[in-house]
Amino acid sequence: MKIRTMKYMVKEGFANTYKNLLMTIASVSMVVASLLIFGIFLMFTINLSFNLNRLKSQTEIVVFLKSDVAVMEADDIELKIESDERVANYIRLSKEQAFAQLATTYIEDLEIIEGLTPEFLNESFRIHLNNPDDISEFTEELSEMNGVEEISYPMESLNKLSTLMHWVNVGSMVVLALLLIISVSIISNTIKLTVYARRREIGIMKYIGAKDWFIRGPFVIEGMIIGLVGAILSFVLTSYFYNAVSTFVNTNAVEYGLNDLVRMVSLSNIGGQIFLIYSIIGMVMGLIGSFISVRKYLNV
Amino acid sequence: MIEFKDVTKYYPNGAIGLDNVSFKIEKGEFVFIVGHSGSGKSTLLKLILHEETPSSGEVYVNEFAIHDMLKSEIPYLRRGLGVVFQDFRLLPNKTVYENVAFAMQIVEAQPKDIRRQVPVALALVGLSKKARSYPNQLSGGEQQRVAVARALVNNPSILIADEPTGNLDPETSWEIMDLIEEINQRGTTVIVATHEKNIVDQMKKRVFNLEYGKITRDVLEGNYTNED
Ligand SMILES: Nc1ncnc2c1ncn2[C@@H]1O[C@H](COP(=O)(O)OP(=O)(O)OP(=O)(O)O)[C@@H](O)[C@H]1O
Ligand SMILES: [Mg+2]
Repeated sequence: MKIRTMKYMVKEGFANTYKNLLMTIASVSMVVASLLIFGIFLMFTINLSFNLNRLKSQTEIVVFLKSDVAVMEADDIELKIESDERVANYIRLSKEQAFAQLATTYIEDLEIIEGLTPEFLNESFRIHLNNPDDISEFTEELSEMNGVEEISYPMESLNKLSTLMHWVNVGSMVVLALLLIISVSIISNTIKLTVYARRREIGIMKYIGAKDWFIRGPFVIEGMIIGLVGAILSFVLTSYFYNAVSTFVNTNAVEYGLNDLVRMVSLSNIGGQIFLIYSIIGMVMGLIGSFISVRKYLNV
Repeated sequence: MIEFKDVTKYYPNGAIGLDNVSFKIEKGEFVFIVGHSGSGKSTLLKLILHEETPSSGEVYVNEFAIHDMLKSEIPYLRRGLGVVFQDFRLLPNKTVYENVAFAMQIVEAQPKDIRRQVPVALALVGLSKKARSYPNQLSGGEQQRVAVARALVNNPSILIADEPTGNLDPETSWEIMDLIEEINQRGTTVIVATHEKNIVDQMKKRVFNLEYGKITRDVLEGNYTNED
């Protein structure tokens, strides 16, 4: 496209939004409202997945060996763990080490473990994986090896969180779709007003031989301006409130009994991402809205 | 060059616009289309512009086949056609100069060509002095001259006018017709739909008479009616 054509479209696009200022403001507000509602879901998803991954990476897999395990078998298992690329690190706890650990735990109350000797305990491996998503596959493989008695990790809570996250994702997509429809219809009605005001001009342009995209251009720009301005405003509002909330939560989490478990992602880590998502959604709203509104008048 | 072959145009509501019409107009000709209201004059012009498409038959305009062309080709068809309407269709918020320049802008002409050709077109229609006026500051005749300048500024090979003098007094009508004839003498093919009996009778051009969508008369150097 020629630069002067581009200039013409941008100029006309801005003129359109300005001539129709009240409706433009109404549409921008609608975009802002939609993006803020969607933003709440988005923040929720981001933080949920952040905490889920934190939990997962802290998750320790404990592999207990049978008490009568042969040394050969135990070494085989260790070899498998050691050579597995999915393993980040591991330690091997002998019966004696396990006993020592217990003893330290109950140092104040040694009666509890009275009569317990290392012989009663099981040898074990404590394993951290690189990628928590590999947990179930990895444990399944291990459980098939000779000498493994039991494998434990906090699966239940992880699975619950994963399910919750799945539904939050589905929910935010549904909300996004609904908000998109509402915003698009309001934007397209706004642009329809400018299209209507300029229908004579459009008619003349068609007779003279303007191409469709040339006629459509200024209205597309108009829609994108609405979408982008809405996105920028929403971003400013979201950033402000999110920053306040996340700072509060992160500094006061311990006080409120959330100890180390729950943390919110800091704004600086996700700000760019949010801005990008908002801008894309805003522009898509504007684009679809403008295409809908010009279509009717292009069929001359 | 324009050619209609057995063209019939029905509107969706069943009204008949054109009924099995065939003719050929060569480059540089001047043709009047006359006939009662509703006889199909505007329909014929709309088919040339691809504002309507034929229900059956073939329509050729320059290198385009109207009955069988892509939507994306329509702008190129229309760039070869200049159009003038009874109601002028100028943009009220643009000056005379801007109205004419607009026609070149939207076909993405070079700015230097726009600066060169717009004054030439305005001079041709005798409106150089009114370049900075707005349409509502002009008489009807002057507004129609602007419309003619706009139709010509992209150098179309065919000029189409649908009742160009319909809103003008007799004297001004003659001025516009003289202008159109002058354009024709420079080599542009001209087709004018009109109800102006006096003008048609005096100018002695080729005349199509339409009745209920049929061409009932096609004569060179003809009159508005058959009588004389
Ligand atoms: N868009 C349309 N939809 C339905 N019928 C139409 C349409 N345009 C024209 N017609 C019908 O087609 C017939 C021919 O109309 P057309 O406009 O071509 O006549 P005309 O000769 O230009 O008349 P006038 O001298 O009044 O301008 C008329 O019966 C008219 O009612
Ligand atoms: Mg007509």
